[in-house]
Amino acid sequence: MDHAVKAEGLTRRFGDFTAVDRLDLAVAPGEIFGFLGANGAGKTTAIRMFCGLLAPSEGEAWIDGLSLSRSAEAIKQRIGYMSQRFSLYDDLTIEENIEFSGGIHGMPRAEIRRVGAALTARLGLERARGRLTREVPLGFKQRLALGCAALHRPRILFLDEPTGGVDPLARREFWDLIYETAAEGTTVFVTTHYMDEAEYCGRVSIMVRGRITALGSPAQLKRQTGGATMEEVFLRVVEGGGERGGILPAADGAGGASANGAMGPGANGGKEPNPGGARGEEA
Amino acid sequence: MQALRPIPFIVRKEFRQLFRDRALVGIVVFVPLVQLFLFGYAANTDLVDVRVALLDQDRSPESRALADAFYSSDVFVPGPPAASPGDLERFLVQREADVSIWIPPGYGERTASFARRSLTGTGDRGEAGAQVGVLVDGTNSSLAGRAAAYAAWIISQAASPPGAAQTAPLAARSRFFYNPELRSRDYMVPGIVVLIVTIISGLLTGMAVVREREIGTLEQLMVSPLTPGQLIAGKTIPFAILAFLDLALATLVAVLWFRLPFEGSAWLLAAGALVYLLVTLGLGLLASTVSSTQQQAMFTLWFFLIFAILMSGFFYPIENMPPGIRWLTYADPLRYMMKIVRGVFLRGATFADLWPQFAALGGMGLVIFSAAVWRFRKRVA
Amino acid sequence: MKRLLAIARKELRHILRDPRSLLVALVMPAAMVVLYGYGIDTELRDLPLGILDEDRTEASRALIRRVLASEFIRDAGRIERRAEIEPAFRRERFRAVMVVPPGYGEAELGSSGARVSRADPARIQALSQASLPASNQAQVQLLIDGADASTAAIVESYLRAALAGAGRGAGEAGAPPADPRVRILFNPELESAHFIVPGLVAVILIMICALLTSIAITREKETGTMEQVLTTPVRPAQLVLGKVAPYLLIAIADAILVLAVGRIVFHVPMRGSWGALAGYSFLYLMVALGLGLLISTVARSQRVAMTVALVATMLPTIILSGFVFPFASMPWPLQALGRVIPATYYLPIIRGIMLTGRAWYPLEGAVLAGMAVLLLALSIRRFGTRLEA
Repeated sequence: MDHAVKAEGLTRRFGDFTAVDRLDLAVAPGEIFGFLGANGAGKTTAIRMFCGLLAPSEGEAWIDGLSLSRSAEAIKQRIGYMSQRFSLYDDLTIEENIEFSGGIHGMPRAEIRRVGAALTARLGLERARGRLTREVPLGFKQRLALGCAALHRPRILFLDEPTGGVDPLARREFWDLIYETAAEGTTVFVTTHYMDEAEYCGRVSIMVRGRITALGSPAQLKRQTGGATMEEVFLRVVEGGGERGGILPAADGAGGASANGAMGPGANGGKEPNPGGARGEEA
Repeated sequence: MQALRPIPFIVRKEFRQLFRDRALVGIVVFVPLVQLFLFGYAANTDLVDVRVALLDQDRSPESRALADAFYSSDVFVPGPPAASPGDLERFLVQREADVSIWIPPGYGERTASFARRSLTGTGDRGEAGAQVGVLVDGTNSSLAGRAAAYAAWIISQAASPPGAAQTAPLAARSRFFYNPELRSRDYMVPGIVVLIVTIISGLLTGMAVVREREIGTLEQLMVSPLTPGQLIAGKTIPFAILAFLDLALATLVAVLWFRLPFEGSAWLLAAGALVYLLVTLGLGLLASTVSSTQQQAMFTLWFFLIFAILMSGFFYPIENMPPGIRWLTYADPLRYMMKIVRGVFLRGATFADLWPQFAALGGMGLVIFSAAVWRFRKRVA
Repeated sequence: MKRLLAIARKELRHILRDPRSLLVALVMPAAMVVLYGYGIDTELRDLPLGILDEDRTEASRALIRRVLASEFIRDAGRIERRAEIEPAFRRERFRAVMVVPPGYGEAELGSSGARVSRADPARIQALSQASLPASNQAQVQLLIDGADASTAAIVESYLRAALAGAGRGAGEAGAPPADPRVRILFNPELESAHFIVPGLVAVILIMICALLTSIAITREKETGTMEQVLTTPVRPAQLVLGKVAPYLLIAIADAILVLAVGRIVFHVPMRGSWGALAGYSFLYLMVALGLGLLISTVARSQRVAMTVALVATMLPTIILSGFVFPFASMPWPLQALGRVIPATYYLPIIRGIMLTGRAWYPLEGAVLAGMAVLLLALSIRRFGTRLEA
């Protein structure tokens, strides 16, 4: 089966510093995949490699079945990217930003008009579409950025912290949109800091210091770490330092593949993760 | 063609951004006009209003004639009256006069006797006429040299026997090609045109590209299927268009308002601009690949421009420069564009006359633009 | 005071860490001085002269030889026909063409004969009354490319002088009718560098202070860090002065650098007192700083700051202050504008101190002091009232 996103041994170094360390990953088409990790864990670097913004130091990745090293250009037509900063033109109107995004993806004018209008309506931006982007509230900008990333109907959407700084209501509405998009068959690869959002994902991975140390559905991870919420899961995984075994599924499982071998020595004297859940939580 | 389809979108976006940014509109419209008017009116290196302080210790008809010759010239104007030789130098130091003339006692006599000698062919013909002291404020070297030469000429003329000048076999007739009234402005204003085109197409392009990097939208462009070529085209075309518009505007102002001659063909001027744009756009792009902020881009280009302008022959003719520096000017694209623009405006030059400049600019443009595109690709990928 | 130092220190770090701004701040002024000092020479040299000898006699060839021997002339080639002249000018092959017409050789012999002969009052009378002397058609023609007006006039007078010199050697005993003893004060060699270098100091100072400071301040506005600082107990005056202090240092360093290069490389004299120079220069610096600050209170973005700084400071300083174009030669509206520019008052001071040794400039000094006070007060007040600006 063709994975939407597949990585094997993907590595990126900056001088002495290894930001992404032998990443192995496989995401099925149509999944909503949560890519979690602490600050500086390497999430953004990984996403940027997937999007073709950064070349890997080692390893290989395949996006929609296409090899990153060989077909980078073709890949770009099939992906959409929403960066942390939203990357919108403040001095253009909402409408103009959409039009521009369609244009640079090579969509014909008529199609841009048609699809753009529908998308604007669906995003709830209909009435604000003539306003300058810098004058609209953050929630609007967020939805606009999503719209610009999705306009050309990419197979895979990469969303890097799309809900940063936005109020909870807006966040929930945003996730409704993500669900709709995924329901249409788009794979959504999203990073977030908000652990409650991690619950919305089909599967999540947790990166610690450049390596994936946990991978699975939220339910699985909760079972394995004994955390009641994704937040607890996260804390346990991250504080565990990611050594020795981590929380990784066996070499089967839904679309899962091998993950980082975790045989490396621990970094700091963090507690070893105890898969059995030594902290009593099941009351 | 499929590949060209995204480009108009980029161009349209740039223009939208441009016109919404009032500062930019200022740069594109207001600054060129200001430059044109400032330079057009200020550019005048003619000798005018040179204040002369005169001390006449002879008080003869001849000396008064000499004084009159000075005051009635269109270069010199009367300065403060001098009472003693000491005054003459003091006036210069105090900047109350620019030139001091000292007519010693005996001037009239010696002048008259020289005239007698030359007309009758008697006496010691090797003996010069009267001496006159000329003191010049040398602070402004070019003005001083010319003022001194002019003063010396007036003195020679005034003391010459009547008719002598006309019988000199070596009196030459002179005629000026291209600028019979010798207006400095005719030389300066075409230079401004070059400056305007350069700043719009070079500085603004570079800053525009870097701005995308600064605000983070460059990433979006990189992630899209846009090729570097399409992006470059989209970013440079708007500024090329603006540069042409400014070129037209500046030319109209020059010809209609300043009544500059326009002897050559407008098409040739446009063609020259086109080739020149290759160079300047390329430079702007190149600067953008080595800058992460707009300020850096601006500084980089600014650094280059300050020297390029000086060495282009804009203010001072290249022939006047020492050989070492003159060789450097061959690397300066502005030098060639100056020649083209001045050639078209003032000399009615044709392509046959200007082809070396076109060739030089074309070569430079290809090299610089290719280097810029190559570096751009590298930074992107 | 401590806060001021903290701000100043941070700003200095910014500058030192950005090699690009160091380049502009330090390397460029030095390079400008060297290049301008060497490159700009208002004396003529290497004038490409074309020759058309229509006479082809011994006399004409001798004349041509002597003219071409002049130091400032370069033999750029011969042309054969008058028709070639225009195209050659269009191609800028020559700056001037000397045409020796047919009949020159004869007329030359004939007329010098006339001079040598004994006095014949009637003949002299006739000669002096002739509106065009008989030797007219044998007059040498000088055709000069007038495109560059200012040097064209110089070219003409130099060529005439060369001709006159060449003629003298033809055997005409000619003592000059008057002997002007010309003495050039302050700059006897007419070194352009002596004129340019002081002017450059004025231009560079205003560039650093007005352009760079205004950009630095607006950059903080753009990135939002200004807001941050303003939420602290820092007072507007402290903020402003703190930001400005490093640029003041750089400007002073630049001025010293430029003057040093000027003295060492170009031997620009320093006939006045260093103290006076420092004092007046400091005044000028204050004015420039005030301008930069004022611009930064007006500008919202760096681009605007750059544009306004360019148009309001550098351009006028270069064009209207008398640096390049003589002040008196400008039409009066521009002179009026020029009087509002600080450089117009500073230039005579620095030139005067360096070249003439005069130390006291009450008028110019007063104007500069007034400008400084006005601008600084205005900008500090604007900073106070428009906190978010």
